[in-house]
Amino acid sequence: MEAGTLLLWSVVAALATGLGAALGVHPWIATRGIGWSSAAAAGLMLGAGYVLLTAGEAMAPTATLVGAALGLVLMRAADGVPRSDHESHPAMPGGRVSTPPATNVGAVLASALHSAAEGVAIGAAGAVGVAVAEFLLLTFALHNVSEGAVLGARLTGSGRRASSAAGIAVIARCSQPLFAIASLLLARAMPPLLPWLIGASFGALLYLIIAELLPQSYQQAGRTGIAVVVSLAAGMVALMGVAP
Amino acid sequence: MFGLPAVWAVFLCALITALATGLGAIPFAFIKSLSPRAAAHANAIAAGLMLGASLGLLSEGVRHGPAPTFLGAAAGVGFILITQRLLGDHEIAFASLTGADARRMLLIVIVMTVHSFAEGIAVGVSFGGGASLAIAITVALAIHNIPEGLAISAVMRPRGVSILACALWSVFSSLPQPLMAVPAFLLVDRVRAALPYGLGFAAGAMVYMVLIELLPEAYDAAERRSIAVLAGLTTVAMLLFQQAL
Repeated sequence: MEAGTLLLWSVVAALATGLGAALGVHPWIATRGIGWSSAAAAGLMLGAGYVLLTAGEAMAPTATLVGAALGLVLMRAADGVPRSDHESHPAMPGGRVSTPPATNVGAVLASALHSAAEGVAIGAAGAVGVAVAEFLLLTFALHNVSEGAVLGARLTGSGRRASSAAGIAVIARCSQPLFAIASLLLARAMPPLLPWLIGASFGALLYLIIAELLPQSYQQAGRTGIAVVVSLAAGMVALMGVAP
Repeated sequence: MFGLPAVWAVFLCALITALATGLGAIPFAFIKSLSPRAAAHANAIAAGLMLGASLGLLSEGVRHGPAPTFLGAAAGVGFILITQRLLGDHEIAFASLTGADARRMLLIVIVMTVHSFAEGIAVGVSFGGGASLAIAITVALAIHNIPEGLAISAVMRPRGVSILACALWSVFSSLPQPLMAVPAFLLVDRVRAALPYGLGFAAGAMVYMVLIELLPEAYDAAERRSIAVLAGLTTVAMLLFQQAL
């Protein structure tokens, strides 16, 4: 995918965060809406992750898989920082909730750090092919809507206006397009790094799916429907993206 | 091969791969009891193994045809969905378990057994490609089956099923391999066309099992981040393992 196109669409995906923050004040959006959009995002992400993995393994299998482990561990390390994820929501899975973010500033910073890793995945996908990049951009646009809804609910809950919350949410996700374009340019300039970037992206996506999207979806919309949506979305992306 | 008629060589090789599945129960001989949190972590590990195996199956299927693999995967999801609905209305006893535990165990063994059909076909088809290919596939599948036995035992053992029963159910889940390998070998050309459907079916069924049973249960008893690290790293380890083969 061309660098300019990738930058444009990743900015659009980041702007979707503002839409989520604005819509997050609606009770249905803040609960079941987040659940279903997270499930769709999880399926798309799993499918796109599979396509990335296949591409990386074709280039350098060991580097890709070691990179995947590193990406997963790094995402876990970043998740240790308090952030505005679903843990700030009143209803979360299994009663095993972690400590909510201490401050709004901390939540916004952590969200920015988190979306930087997602930006690397978009950039790596852009270096692999147009189809997988398009699916990943669509995935992150959906994911950003639910992230924005969660962050927006937190900010409006602490007294901010919806428009202000939407602006802050978009700013927090700006690291996504920035890291997307940077990782695409890096992969183009240093091709041997591409399998590592692809692997790290796959690991990061896997962590996001299992640590965030699935628990959020199960809690808001039940098991069976979510499992069907995730499986079929992943299968469709894998089917359409295998020939990038 | 081995001085045996080809059909018996196919059967023997596929039987070896099936018996290897029972080795997956061995680690549980050293684990006496599991807390709910440890059981959740075991489920996360099983989920990672199954997810890694599914990605491997999908890769293999896609090489033979993306669309048939996807159709097979959709059928696998539908199969488990329907099986689950049917089992949901009946009280089940399975491997000394009853109720929800029995239903879950039975589903897992069914999925693994269905999965084995495709592997049996793979063993049979590989004999059509010559002895060295057949040996490579047999060794690969035998080693690949050990974590599958581990995945089955990781779910059964925390519910009080004995080591021997874990091993036997693990082997049982792979019995379709020798049973399917011989007809696959005999009908290799026709089966070659059906292979992506079978591989996709097994992958779809396994992914759906991970999503409908293993991960939700793991989230119920352990913190989501530890579940993600365990399941994610196990997925990657399984992929590395398959790559090394």
